[in-house]
Amino acid sequence: MLNISNIQHFSVGDGEGIRTTVFLKGCNLRCPWCHNPENLNKQPAVLRYRSTGKTETLGRLVSAEEILTELLEDKDFYDESRGGVTFSGGETMLQASELVPLTKLLKANGVSVLVDTAGCVPYASFQILNPFVTGYLFDFKTADGDQYREIGGDLGLVVENITRLRKDGKAVRIRIPLIPGFNTSPRSTQAICERLQDIGIKHVDLLPFHRLGSAKYEAMGLEYAYKTQQPLTKDDLGKIEAIYKTYFSVKIEG
Amino acid sequence: MKLFESLNNELRQTSGVYAPHYFRYLGYGEDLSADYASLRANGIYSLFTKPNPVILKSEWIAGNQQSLFCEESELVLNYAKNLVDRFSQRGFTTNKDHYAPDYDHILRVGLPGMIDEIEVSMQVHGDDPDKIVTLQAMKKTLCGFSEMIQKYMLQAEALVDSPDFDRNRLHFIADNCRAIINGPPKSFAQALQLMWFCHTAFLMEGRYAMAFGRMDQYLYRFYKTDIDQGILTDEMVIELLENVFIRLQDDIVNICIGGQNQKGECEINPLSRCILRAVRHCNVPGPNLSLRYTQNTPDDFLDECLETIGTGLGYPAIMNDDVNIASLKKYGYAEEDVYNYSMVGCIENFMTGKQPPWSDGRFDTPRFFDYIFNNGISATNQSVGLNLCGLEDITSMSDFMTVFEKQLAFGVDEYMFKFNAKNDFIHQAFFAEPFLSCFCRDCIGRGLDINCGGSIYPSVHGAALMGIGTVCDSLAAIEKLVFADRTTTLSELRDAMNANFEGYGELRQKLLDAPKYGNNDPFVDKYAVWFIDYLGSLFEKKKTRDGGGIYIAAAANVSNICAGKIINATPDGRLRGEPLSDAASPTYGRDTRGATSTINSVSKPDYTKVACGSVVNQKFSPSMFTPEKRKKLMALIKTYFKKGGQELQINATLRETLIDAIEHPEKYQNLVVRVSGFSAFYVTLEKDVQLDILNRTQQE
Repeated sequence: MLNISNIQHFSVGDGEGIRTTVFLKGCNLRCPWCHNPENLNKQPAVLRYRSTGKTETLGRLVSAEEILTELLEDKDFYDESRGGVTFSGGETMLQASELVPLTKLLKANGVSVLVDTAGCVPYASFQILNPFVTGYLFDFKTADGDQYREIGGDLGLVVENITRLRKDGKAVRIRIPLIPGFNTSPRSTQAICERLQDIGIKHVDLLPFHRLGSAKYEAMGLEYAYKTQQPLTKDDLGKIEAIYKTYFSVKIEG
Repeated sequence: MKLFESLNNELRQTSGVYAPHYFRYLGYGEDLSADYASLRANGIYSLFTKPNPVILKSEWIAGNQQSLFCEESELVLNYAKNLVDRFSQRGFTTNKDHYAPDYDHILRVGLPGMIDEIEVSMQVHGDDPDKIVTLQAMKKTLCGFSEMIQKYMLQAEALVDSPDFDRNRLHFIADNCRAIINGPPKSFAQALQLMWFCHTAFLMEGRYAMAFGRMDQYLYRFYKTDIDQGILTDEMVIELLENVFIRLQDDIVNICIGGQNQKGECEINPLSRCILRAVRHCNVPGPNLSLRYTQNTPDDFLDECLETIGTGLGYPAIMNDDVNIASLKKYGYAEEDVYNYSMVGCIENFMTGKQPPWSDGRFDTPRFFDYIFNNGISATNQSVGLNLCGLEDITSMSDFMTVFEKQLAFGVDEYMFKFNAKNDFIHQAFFAEPFLSCFCRDCIGRGLDINCGGSIYPSVHGAALMGIGTVCDSLAAIEKLVFADRTTTLSELRDAMNANFEGYGELRQKLLDAPKYGNNDPFVDKYAVWFIDYLGSLFEKKKTRDGGGIYIAAAANVSNICAGKIINATPDGRLRGEPLSDAASPTYGRDTRGATSTINSVSKPDYTKVACGSVVNQKFSPSMFTPEKRKKLMALIKTYFKKGGQELQINATLRETLIDAIEHPEKYQNLVVRVSGFSAFYVTLEKDVQLDILNRTQQE
């Protein structure tokens, strides 16, 4: 059974074409800027919105067959747009073995599958999913090993997984969240660029910080460390983008 | 300042009183004892020839209504109005306007050629005095029209030495006028000038929503010749078109581009692109651009349409050509005419230049619930339906559907009764339309007025079915709560609705939580299929006064708002006075599962039964209109049409909407913010975060 929080139809920022995104619950990292706090833990999250007075509980266990029907509803749209299904989270790869039956069925139905991951899991998890997955949207948060440790990750493992996935012929799309005060200084940016260039990366997606998740923190009764953090200005974003552009082709994903 | 902008300023400078009735009156006054057709013709002749034309400094294409402002005394104007009003005119339900003239014909044979045709027809029908009167009336108006153009020519020439005017432009206008008085237009500019004079004449007559029809087709040969000979460039074509489009502000002028021919070939051409660009530059609401979309429409063209929509303009509306053609074929029109259809008004499918002007009415379906629940009499307004049985006699969903169908069938009869009464009250010959008849086949050949048998096809009427979403949601809520879960009864539901749910908050919440149309849920979507099938079958049996079809439409314009104001609370949890669902769209804010699910739902009904047309509104944030995201929108549209959808009206969510949503979150429950790996309903966000989003859209 898969532990999911939400299924979102008509996703347009999670890979090529029109996609349906399935959000999986549970995460092994604790990034303080996270925009999906409801997916940090495996237990259902209860959100009570003050603005609308509505309460919702996010978190349910579903079987592959149960969810497949819903994912296939939009098959015609996937086919027309070269889209498909994206698994996001949380950390998707924590449920790698539970994902096997579903991704197998999706593949059998001709549906492209992308997996969004921060990649701090043993490569063995990727190996069991690889046969059924079209590609990975792979987060790369920093080139500083200490910073990775602070959020519970492991830079060495991330680099190893990217390298091995590429060696095994899987499409890997590097995505860098741009978090003010964490990885947006020229020095951090430079370091990220060099590290990724070393391992042969040619393209990156940049995901500018936003604080859209803050309502969810409040609805869950949690403090959000980035509540008052302003988004990057157009100017700042342009400067950061310029550095990345000297190394890679770059796309800014809204 | 761009040329069309200064033209726009000039058009706003007027003095005196706008008095078309005064000029008509001058014509009537010539012979008040004349027969009706001649009286009308005299009035129109005078309307066209008496006013002094106004040439504007910034125009390349002449023709406006400023000539109809006059300085006569109030007493004379009042007398004139009184007299003219007695000899009143047709209205929207009696075939006055919303018409696509046969522009192709006049551009081919020219104005003198049309007058010749009338003379030939007079010889053919020489033994029929009624036809001679009709033809003479037509001829008089065309001669008046020709004189009006001549006056423009003379005026342009008279101004040549004026220092305020550009000589080149005046010569251009005078030369074009001279050419079209004397023969068929030879250049693109002459053709455009002639059709614009026709449109101006219709406006002077007091008509509204006169469509341009398939402008990219009938003007194309002129365009091609001029471009091939190097006389024109696309930039000049666009400027000429802007000269015309900028004047369409307080009107709904449908302009149709694209479409397929009988061989299935897409007819998008370079002129279609110029029209799209000119509409986009002008950025005024009047030109109602419609794209007849086929699966072989070039992607780059559709992309440019989406880019235009993304500017906030909302045009073009995108129509599925295959579905429209299939729906029109059911009415027995000649194949070539079906493929040459265009739209009038907002979306109404029309046999270009071959049937009398359009009429339509609104059929507000959700009100029929009220009669079932309240013994045939509305609880909130003065309306009455059938009193069929007590609520206790309805013991299953199929019982409920039976009584609902009976109510609707009665409603359709009532609707047709009122429509027929209004039309039969009209003495067709009294309301002769000599000028308009010249632009409808085959009035000249037959010697008959457009509304008295002159048109090739009879008049049709569109019944705009309102509230499909409200009805589907209501039926699903009844089925689920009353007959499946048995958590309420019909009588409790009646009490709750009559109390506008005051004191019934819990029940209302359950009704709101029941399946809603627009989320690809078969439990409720089946009612949408039934809605179109059943109401389509009722209207299919009805006819207009002259034997034409009654089409159905799934459209409402904004009538769903006023209709909702007087309709009692409905079983879907809608409060009394709230708008009905709009057009063919799900109830606003209730399709919360994403655009693909909305489209999966709304493509289920069989729209080949909806010959008038339907409207599905979809709003997307401005970030959906970047080049990359437009590809995804294109895929969405193509899939929708492959599934049998009929029309998509895409709008970019404007800043104003986002601001309004901060103030009125209840209206925007489905407004989604989409970011990679994340989504949220806009209204759940805190105010400062909503402002972040506003700033994002501003940047884009």
